[in-house]
This record gives sequence, structure tokens and C-alpha cells, in this order.
Amino acid sequence: MGYEWDFGIVLRDFDVLLLGLVNTLKITILALLFGVPLGLGAALLRLSSNPAVRIPVGILIEFFRSTPPIVQLFWFFFALPLLTGIEIDPFRASVLTFSIQSSAFFAEVFRGGIVSIERGQWEAAKAIGMARNQTLRRIILPQAVKRMIPAFLERVIELMKTTTLVATVSYADLLYQANNIAQSTYRPLEVFTIAALMYFAILFPISMTVRRLERHLARTGETTAH
Amino acid sequence: MEHTWDFSSILASRDLLLVGLGNTIRLGVLCLVVGLTAGLFVGAARYSRNRLINWPATAFIEVFRNTPALVQIMWFFFAFPIISPFQIDAFTAATLGLSLNTTAFCAEVYRGGIQSIHKGQWEAAKAIGMSYSQQMRRIILPQAIARMIPAFMNRAVELMKMTSLASVIAFGELMHQAKAISTYNFNPIETYTVVALIFFIMIYPMAMVVQRVELHLRRSDQ
Repeated sequence: MGYEWDFGIVLRDFDVLLLGLVNTLKITILALLFGVPLGLGAALLRLSSNPAVRIPVGILIEFFRSTPPIVQLFWFFFALPLLTGIEIDPFRASVLTFSIQSSAFFAEVFRGGIVSIERGQWEAAKAIGMARNQTLRRIILPQAVKRMIPAFLERVIELMKTTTLVATVSYADLLYQANNIAQSTYRPLEVFTIAALMYFAILFPISMTVRRLERHLARTGETTAH
Repeated sequence: MEHTWDFSSILASRDLLLVGLGNTIRLGVLCLVVGLTAGLFVGAARYSRNRLINWPATAFIEVFRNTPALVQIMWFFFAFPIISPFQIDAFTAATLGLSLNTTAFCAEVYRGGIQSIHKGQWEAAKAIGMSYSQQMRRIILPQAIARMIPAFMNRAVELMKMTSLASVIAFGELMHQAKAISTYNFNPIETYTVVALIFFIMIYPMAMVVQRVELHLRRSDQ
């Protein structure tokens, strides 16, 4: 095949791609800022001994884990404004969707970490007179968080990959910018290849870190058995 | 604002949704079969000691695991046709993207499963005179596959969710049909709610089974 690659055209628009990357990171970080605390809250509610709390929260978590994020995004972008009468722009719809969607997954990471801590730790804390809240904050979470780090980073990777969906509601993330440049320059091969490499450049180091941490934790015998 | 839910237009469009559901399942099953099969070979290559085999397999796996599936699908739909010797329609592009993505993840599952088998099993098989491929086929894989089942089922769950990405390149799966129905009937609330429920009903039982199997394996390991 006599196709002549020309990355020069793409490099001229590289600042546009970089702007897209910044927007991708913005959505990812905001979703993390909301999603992680929300996930911790959901995990604690799911571990509650009261079935009236545990069951509905469990259903919500499973619902967001078992439906495609693009369906969730379209629901929040197209259906929610009609239901509530509140205008919602692509940026807000995206942050809202990915905060909730990722919180469902973070909830499971937190839950896995918390239940992986032996019962004896709870009992010992109780024996010295700690309340459930204190036990969780001072004894369980500090130990559990360490074991959760690989699963947590894995979810960060998935989250950043999932944010590409914002392009479908016209938010100018990396994929959206790449698509625009591809159309204006007629160079989709170069543009999409470079966009893919830009994602790779960020995600691959995180992946490597996950692997290294997993190996380290496996050696010290600390896993969440996931 | 008060919204009166009205599902009649969805019921009227049920044929469109059924076609979409059929396409979703067709795409998902095809990519799963390709991914499970090709993943075994890529996983074995990744496990090889020969660098010429090991290195390309590793590069393939890392690229497909560390780039977004939507970028892969769009690459195969918009970019690949320029250098491809054959025509690429939306179904082919989605199949290529999702199959290769699933192959990369399955390869890692195979590798992890094989590595989890105790070294003594290899040595014992070798001691009674089995060749490498006999050791792998008769001793290692049968034990390893049982441990891999939950991970494969997880991949199937992720894959079914990812098929919805094919709507972006206008392949007529469930999500694409939903877009068409909601635009035509101005009923995004009902359409996207119903489609979310259809996906949930399809995927949640799979996720439940994964949890059961994981629990069972953990117990039988102890």
C-alpha cells in the first residue's frame, strides 16, 4: 500500500489536541473528587447491618455497575433535564455521570478492602472501647486503604478511558478534538493514532504502577482477594 | 416539573429495539469467542521466553489495555480503512476494535491463570516424559481454566457494556436504536430508561454468577 504518512499536519494542530487532553483530565479528576467520597459512603451503607439501608444501596451500586456508561450519560444529558426542568450542559452531565458511575465501582473497591480486614481487628477495637466509627477510622481504613490501592488505580484507568464518551455529547475532550482535526485535515490515520498514543502515554505508567504494587502486596500477603 | 411517563411509543417501537438487542448480542458473542480464542495464543506468546515472540505480544496487550475502547473502535472505523485492503463497515470496525480489546484482556487472564499453577506440576509432568505442549494441554490448562472462569465472565460483562460504543459509529445495536427511537418520538426519558433496564436485565445476572463462582472457588481453595 502506497500510503504516505504525514504527521506534520497533525503536529500543527497539536495544541488543539493538548487542550482536549486537559479537558479529559479535568473531567477525570472532577469525577474522582466526587466519586471517591461518594463511593466510600456507599460502601459503608452497603455494609450496614440495617437491611432497609443495605439493600437499596446495593441495588443502586449494581445498577450503575451493570449498565453501559454511555446509556447513563445519555440519560443524564437528554432525559434528566426534561424530568427536572433544569438545563444541563455537556460538561455538567459528564461530571455528574462519571462521578456516580465511578462511585459505584469505588464502593466495591472500598467494600472489598474493608471486608478483607480480619474480624479480630474489629473485636480488639471494640474490646478497648472504641465505637464503630472510631474503629473504622482508626483501625480498619488505615489498613484497608493500603490493600485497595491497586484496585483503586485500576478504576482510575477505567474511568479515564470511559471519559472518552463525553465526546458523544460534544464536550471537547481529547477524542472530540481528534475527531474534529481528522475531519478538517482528512488525516484520520495520523490523528487517531496520535490521540491513542496520548492516552497510552498517560495510562501505561499507571498500569505499570498497579502491577508493581500488586506484586509487592502479594509478597507481603496483603490482598483483597479480588 | 411533572412528567407523565408514557411507554406506549416504546411498545410501538419494540421491533426496532429487538433488532438492536439481536445486534448487541451478535456483536458481543462474536467478540467474546474471538477474544477467548486469540487471547490464549497471545497469552501463551506473552509467557514465552523467546523475546521475539514475547515482545510483540506484550506490546499488543499493553496498547489495547491502555487505550480507550472507543478510540480503538473509531480508529478502526475512520483511520484503518485508509491502509486496509478491504472495505470496513461499522460492524467490521466494531468487531475488530472490541475483539482485539477482549483478546488483550483475556491474554492477561490466561497468563495469570497459568502462572498461578504450582511449578511442581510442570516438573512432575516433565518427569514422566511429557512434551511442553502435552504438559500445557493435559496438566496445566485444565487446572488453570477453572481458576480463570470468574475473570473471563468479568470480561464478558465488560464486553456486553462496551458493545454500546458501536452506536457512536452508527452500528444498529441497542443504544443506536434507542437514539433513533428517542429522536423520532421525542421520548428520551422513557427510551433511555427502558434501554438501561434491558442492559441491566441482561448483564446483572452475569455479574451475580461471577460473584457466586468467585465465592465458591475461594472456599474450595482453602
